[in-house]
Amino acid sequence: MSPRPEYVSDSDSGLDVFSECHSFEEPSSTNIEILSDDSEFDFSSGDYSEEEDARIENATSELESGSLLKGSKSGKLEPLGPPKLNYGCLTTDQIYQIMLSRLKALEPVLNRTPEDIIVLLQKFGWNEERLLECWTDDDNGVLISCGLKPKDDIKCERGIKEVRDFVCPICCESGQTEAFSLECGHEYCLDCHRHYIQDKLGEGKIITCMSCPLALRNHDIDVLTGTNSSQKLMLSSMKSFIQKHSSHYKWCPFVDCNYVIQIGNISCLSEFPRFHASPYVICDNMHKFCFRCSLESHDPGDCKVADQWVKTAQVESANLNWVLKNTKECPKCGVNIEKNGGCNHMTCKSCLFEFCWICERQWADHGGSYFECTRFKKEDKNDPQESKSTLRKYTFYYRLFSEHENSAKLDWKLGQTVEQKVRALQETTGLSWIETQFLPESIRVLIEGRTTLKWSFPVAFYSDASHNLTKIFVDNQLLLVTAVEDLSQLLQIKEPRKIVEKKLEFFNKSQFVKSRERALIECGRDLLCKGICCPQK
Amino acid sequence: MSREKRIMKEMQAIKEDPEANIGLQFVNEGDIHLMKGSFLGPPGTPYEGGKFMVNIEVPMEYPFKPPLMKFDTKVYHPNISSVTGAICLDILKNAWSPVITLKSALISLQALLQSPEPNDPQDAEVAQHFIKDKESFNKTAALWTKTYACAHLQGEPADVDEASLYGIDNALIEQFMALGFTRSKIIEVVRRLGIKTMSPGDNETVNKILEQLVR
Repeated sequence: MSPRPEYVSDSDSGLDVFSECHSFEEPSSTNIEILSDDSEFDFSSGDYSEEEDARIENATSELESGSLLKGSKSGKLEPLGPPKLNYGCLTTDQIYQIMLSRLKALEPVLNRTPEDIIVLLQKFGWNEERLLECWTDDDNGVLISCGLKPKDDIKCERGIKEVRDFVCPICCESGQTEAFSLECGHEYCLDCHRHYIQDKLGEGKIITCMSCPLALRNHDIDVLTGTNSSQKLMLSSMKSFIQKHSSHYKWCPFVDCNYVIQIGNISCLSEFPRFHASPYVICDNMHKFCFRCSLESHDPGDCKVADQWVKTAQVESANLNWVLKNTKECPKCGVNIEKNGGCNHMTCKSCLFEFCWICERQWADHGGSYFECTRFKKEDKNDPQESKSTLRKYTFYYRLFSEHENSAKLDWKLGQTVEQKVRALQETTGLSWIETQFLPESIRVLIEGRTTLKWSFPVAFYSDASHNLTKIFVDNQLLLVTAVEDLSQLLQIKEPRKIVEKKLEFFNKSQFVKSRERALIECGRDLLCKGICCPQK
Repeated sequence: MSREKRIMKEMQAIKEDPEANIGLQFVNEGDIHLMKGSFLGPPGTPYEGGKFMVNIEVPMEYPFKPPLMKFDTKVYHPNISSVTGAICLDILKNAWSPVITLKSALISLQALLQSPEPNDPQDAEVAQHFIKDKESFNKTAALWTKTYACAHLQGEPADVDEASLYGIDNALIEQFMALGFTRSKIIEVVRRLGIKTMSPGDNETVNKILEQLVR
């Protein structure tokens, strides 16, 4: 192999590190072979000298940053990353318990009943520090402002009482025998109280007497509207609790997901930016999101890249979005085509022309190993207007970004239907549950792969295109695109029996996507660590 | 269920207290859903002497949900839309409580006329006028009261010039009309810029207005 001498001369010192890492796994292999193993390139066609060069450079740059490398058990190279995050996924009930325990801690300090403390905390938005501060200043004032103590003298006892000739001033119904009031003596019938409380339960604020600021305690609420209705109030109050303690707790940002993630070792959160990594957490619904910015997984970009990209997208893409969401014309016959599946390999129903949805060129051009449409071509080199070309570059990457976003959504929908079919097959042919699990697993891998791919475009956008590492990054992108498209195509199979037959293929392709994804993330992190990808340009 | 009883009782209470000068009627007899309320402009304000009509929509959940109130009479006030009559008042929104009645809500509107809240405006143009030049604002508000809220005294509303309706100095408009712009166009631009008067020789303002006029 011709590039070998170059490689050796480039990084003599690094060689040892590299072979050491692998020595316990494959002691007999030569360096070049290990390289091929590691990057899992599949070059069936002969023309690959350019990529080979790039790969060597990739390897050398990894070696140069040898201090960041450590050998793991599998023999794969992993950068020394940020510390491991300890976190738990909590249900709303568990959060409620945590709230109660914090409340218990305040009990001896404030010397009030737990019910009163709930009211106090609700008023203070679960900000314990501020409550204690105000409490030490003027405890009586706090009690009055929270409606826990009547300003004037106590007129009567709180609770339900028997009444005669009572006309409720709210509903004006007469002849009722029971009414409820707090110490203020504002009596209203039970029905009106119930109606009033039911409306207020969702607001998460203190419920006061209808006429004055005196607060109803949870016990009063339960007495009036039935047991456990005060818990509803607590649930809505939980939102302010989580908001106040957002450094420890975060709601899962996914739609209709009610899990809360609690971080145990929040001190290590500050370690992540240094490594250009993001603190990802996964809730019990398998939703992966970044604890710092509450976005979905945005590897290989870090939070800064993601943030900048989202901001740019908000400004620039209002119009763009509309254009992109519309149909495309068949490049050959011009028929309008709507994409309703996840795969980017399109076949025009009208002229049977096969093309790539992204670059709108013939699919065969992409070849088996070379997939070029993620590379931005600098066609407008002579364009005098810098800003215009930046916008064009942005438009190009944004288009790719949103294509993959849409594809991931469609893949997800597709996965749902295929899964149902396999379930049906499971019932008819008696395949066990475990035997069919490869399918949801590969859909998960596919969506994850697409998400990574999607977020790799912002990284490419903010990177210095002339740098060699960026070129390697783009090559890695291409490889992941190929892997993802392959897997996506496999998932297009609708026949359940065929799916089961191709089980092994599913497994292999998923593994390939996974390893390509890992490589791309590593490469992206390298770009960030070396400052080649810099969002503040 | 209890809505009818409550509203009948509220009507009764208003009839029993003619001193308050609060009016409340059904729009269509037998339909308690839509009502019309009225009250007098508070004395000592530019609204004095006017009778203000309010459209009231009583929701099904009343009295647990607030009634929807909107001025039928045009009012020049920072917290009331000069176009739609929409009202920005907390007790008609989140601070509503079932003990509040239509009568007390109308009295609150009366109090709102007495003490405007320009920092929480419903009508930005009016609020700006209020903050910038209170005296001119009072004049305009009084003119609106005379024009729109005194129909019960005069019969037909008088024809009023658009410029004075928005408190715009007539000399300012004439200055630009001399340059060949139409009256309505000038009023539209000056309103948009929130300019009511102009001191002589204020070239900056002149240029600002011209820039908008020629656009």
